[in-house]
Amino acid sequence: MTTISKTSVPMHEDHIISVRSARKYFPVQEGWMRRVKGYVKAVDDITFDIRKGETFGLVGESGSGKSSIARLILRAYDLTGGEILFRRADGSVIDVSTLSDRDLRDIRREMQMIFQDPYSSLNPRMTLLDLVGEPLVIHGVGSQGEIRDRVAELLRLVGLRPEYLTRYPHAFSGGQRQRIGIARALALNPSFIAADEAVSALDVSVAAQNINLMQDLQEKFGLTYLFITHDLGMVEHISDRIGVMYLGRLMEVGPTDEMFAKPLHPYTEALLAAVPQPDPRGNRARKRVPLKGEIADAMNIPTGCPFHPRCAYADAKCRGEVPELRVVKSGRQVRCHHAETLDLIGVAAE
Amino acid sequence: MSETITKSLSPMPQERLLQLDNVGVHFPTRDGLVKAVNGVSYHVNKGEVLGIVGESGSGKSVTARSIMRLQPKYAINASGTIRYRCKSGEELLINEQDRLGRTMRNLRGNEIGMIFQEPMTALSPVHTIGTQIMRTVMLHRNVSKAEARARAIELLTKVQMPRPNDIVDRFPHHLSGGMRQRAMIALALACDPALLIADEPTTALDVTTEAQILELLKRLQDEMNMAIVFITHNFGVVADIADRVAVMYLGRVVETGTVDEIFYEPKHPYTQALLQSIPRLGRSHGRRLRTIAGMVPDPFNVPTGCSFHPRCMHAVGGICDVQTPEDVVFASGQRARCHFAGQDRQAEAAQ
Repeated sequence: MTTISKTSVPMHEDHIISVRSARKYFPVQEGWMRRVKGYVKAVDDITFDIRKGETFGLVGESGSGKSSIARLILRAYDLTGGEILFRRADGSVIDVSTLSDRDLRDIRREMQMIFQDPYSSLNPRMTLLDLVGEPLVIHGVGSQGEIRDRVAELLRLVGLRPEYLTRYPHAFSGGQRQRIGIARALALNPSFIAADEAVSALDVSVAAQNINLMQDLQEKFGLTYLFITHDLGMVEHISDRIGVMYLGRLMEVGPTDEMFAKPLHPYTEALLAAVPQPDPRGNRARKRVPLKGEIADAMNIPTGCPFHPRCAYADAKCRGEVPELRVVKSGRQVRCHHAETLDLIGVAAE
Repeated sequence: MSETITKSLSPMPQERLLQLDNVGVHFPTRDGLVKAVNGVSYHVNKGEVLGIVGESGSGKSVTARSIMRLQPKYAINASGTIRYRCKSGEELLINEQDRLGRTMRNLRGNEIGMIFQEPMTALSPVHTIGTQIMRTVMLHRNVSKAEARARAIELLTKVQMPRPNDIVDRFPHHLSGGMRQRAMIALALACDPALLIADEPTTALDVTTEAQILELLKRLQDEMNMAIVFITHNFGVVADIADRVAVMYLGRVVETGTVDEIFYEPKHPYTQALLQSIPRLGRSHGRRLRTIAGMVPDPFNVPTGCSFHPRCMHAVGGICDVQTPEDVVFASGQRARCHFAGQDRQAEAAQ
């Protein structure tokens, strides 16, 4: 198995994933010659670590590149540049981006994904036994009888009855299907799970059940989650630390409580202000000023800070210079020239 | 619109714009009869925003579509009346109209506008934004093509569309999600409707765009003194925009009240449980979410008695599973469809 190059800074012992200067550019082609006329920078110079056993939340508007990151980590996409390190269960560290197909298959036992749409992510012609047992079959784990027992056990774990083994996905509700997806992800005892909008399609009461289930499973198996969502209430609830993305870049990284109480980036402030609260009196008192404009076209990213055309605090420096992601306080990073001088408003804790 | 109301109905109060009484909509399917809407009553006054919240399958969209008579052909209007006060002041019994008739066609777009969740499917992909607005205007108003085009640009400006003179000749696929939603609002407002039905208009949008659209709707509602029926499953959105709220569950309205009553003094156990199951910004980190046991039952097997009783933590055997509850009306006008509304059930359960 490939080991990491000697030039890399070694990974911190507590970290399970280390994304370093990751870039993913998609070429945009034109004409019958498929001439490349430009690139969509879906992920641009992203660096962050995920600690073992924590839930790391990624938030941002659609098109900000949050799903691309999950796909890069699981190597559904190939990196354009940078590296993604993963600490295996045995403690060894590997660079996911340089693995061969054979090594990848091995590594995917340890990292799994839960998808947003429980309707399109499950094959309607497969029974639960086939669906949840498929990873076991692919990795040659156990005999038919053993697989059957394991699937029954997995279904029980996610709160579905083992008698459902022979049923097809259409017999289940959205929330139950999402649980099937969770059981499937758990089949090979992974240490890391990327959940891409895992509860976004569900009704509130069902979303709450599934979030609680995911937290129980995390505790039980010591799982690490990358939780991707556009729902700030949900991400605050489940995440220990959060990364805020905008136009393929990380704008701010920090512990949930600190960041939401006092954001350092104007974009984080704007996002928090935009969420309508289930509190009519509070909403009336808050007098929200919506962020102007829309997220820029990913092919024509603004010069300087990509957020400057929508930022209320932007000045000449923001228009000209690209800010770097830098540490401002312990544990908190931000990509803003004026992070020290701005006094931004978060959401007050009770 | 010469339809007059049958004698048995008491006339609506003057400020009342829309009133639904005991509306039932059923769908015959291969697997049996689906009672999607099962006795819904609510009303909207002029210039008021009524929020309708509920989980999927609660019948909130089906009810709204039956106001416009936009249900599929095979839908059975099983019961109830839908009354609407036209701009002329007359009361119209919508449920007795021919769904394809002149009266309904005149009503749609002219008296009542509607916007949907997914603008890409609601707008025509092969006509420009301008053409679509112009056709609506020319259908209901006696205006020339040039006047209609001027009106289209005026409407696009009104919904704060960037570069309205350019966008008017664009196709929907040229626009972003937020801009499409603005175009659809412009289309719905083309003939100054007195009522706008908004069916999950912000659900597919990002939070920042959602905030922009909500601000826009609030401003337009205020300027045009228009009433809105705002359907959503998002309690944050409804708290932001609604004056009054109706909570729906399994084809019934289980609670109605002012927005403050619903959020600060919910009387129905379902409303209470839902409010506790949403994570709130700034106060929920690390805490476990309260959940509602079980799931929404399938529509073929609606539970007997109170349809919420299998999931209700306060359900009392012998009452809730047998008798269908009636609305309990409180002094403030708040209503809850629960046998024990207003009584201290927690204390009772503890005994």
